[in-house]
Amino acid sequence: MRLLFFVMTFGGSLAQSSIVPALSVGGVTPDLPLILTVLLALRRGPEIGCAAGFVAGLLQDVAGGGLVGVQAVTKALAGFGVGMLVGRLWLANPLVQVPGLVLLTLGEGVARFFLLQLFHYPASLGELMLHVILPQALYNGFLGAACMLAAAAAEALRRGRTWI
Amino acid sequence: MRFRKYGLLVSVLLVSLLLLTVQTRGGGTGRAGELVALVVTPAQNLLVKIHRGAVGLWTAYVDWKSVRSENVVLRAESERLRVQALQAGETKQENERLRRLLALRDRLPLATLAGEVIGREAGGWVRSLTVNRGRGDGITQQTPVIVPEGLVGRVVQVRGRAAVVQLLNDPTSTVGAVVQRTRTAGLVEGDVGGTVRFKFMARDGAGVGPGDLVVTSGLGALFPKGLPVGRVVAVEDKGSALFHFALLAPAVDFSRVEEVLLLTGQTPQDVAGLFPSDG
Repeated sequence: MRLLFFVMTFGGSLAQSSIVPALSVGGVTPDLPLILTVLLALRRGPEIGCAAGFVAGLLQDVAGGGLVGVQAVTKALAGFGVGMLVGRLWLANPLVQVPGLVLLTLGEGVARFFLLQLFHYPASLGELMLHVILPQALYNGFLGAACMLAAAAAEALRRGRTWI
Repeated sequence: MRFRKYGLLVSVLLVSLLLLTVQTRGGGTGRAGELVALVVTPAQNLLVKIHRGAVGLWTAYVDWKSVRSENVVLRAESERLRVQALQAGETKQENERLRRLLALRDRLPLATLAGEVIGREAGGWVRSLTVNRGRGDGITQQTPVIVPEGLVGRVVQVRGRAAVVQLLNDPTSTVGAVVQRTRTAGLVEGDVGGTVRFKFMARDGAGVGPGDLVVTSGLGALFPKGLPVGRVVAVEDKGSALFHFALLAPAVDFSRVEEVLLLTGQTPQDVAGLFPSDG
């Protein structure tokens, strides 16, 4: 479990600054650490989700050069929130996963914007929504759903069952 | 159990807010950022090397597949020559980039240090590069970063063996600049869409038009004077507003920067003549 936590949080944040730019589509990149935080939170609950979000966000902030702590807060809240929803929503269904990740990314983006307003971030919410948050939310939705399906398939194979 | 869940959440929120408070009161990211970077930087170096190797291998594989239809006798020779050509081509391109960087370094009347890009942040909130030069190489905050085409940005965070470079198209980036032809002064700003624009006083900018080259003004002694920033693409007509904006095509393609020069010295000399003027 600790190895999985370390690989997903540390590896995801490193990949975000090294490899993910190559996955850019029209200048839009997915938020891989957020997707991995959600996966961990779904499997292990709100505490692990919160810790994973905090570590992944902190690493992203350090690597990116912005204010350190902003993404640590937003991703910790996202991981905690998703972990609390386990068992309350039909989260294994792709019809829930795709819009769920889209909404989560939107929420995390809006939270990040309001937190950055305390530090006089110059961009407006409208510009951020149009150019950054919405496109990334759509990308995250589909990429995250693909990751969840892959994880479910791997789990089913491990248990010797069909997953379709 | 429930108390532990909320306790952990409150703890991480308090730690994050403490980090933010320390930074904004001038404490910087200090020890926390250094400790994290000690682990992150070598891994970034390794990861980018693995990534480049994997991309080269994949390209070689795709091209190898494309010659399978040729006759059997020539196929082995053709594959061998194609792989060699791809490797040579990649090396040649890298050599070309490094030669141009070296030529610029020789021309500049400044102390410079070459660096390699080992990480990128292009999500939109922040646009930056991580280079493999840091405090150990004499790099300080606000060090200008350039390539043969022009200005890339400035160093905003320095660690032991790496530095984070804020790009010109970062939303919080501002650079003092002038239009080379009309000498209209203003500020070059980035925005969340990844574009760069030149903000100038309306009364001073009547002659600014598409095609005009914008260079650093040298004011504030942060950037040398004359570093190419971009060319005017269009001027936004704001009517009677105090400030007008001109959309710029940056001189540098930030997504393709792989090697950079960090300017560790200063000069009052205008360096505009040392860069190509047709970019």
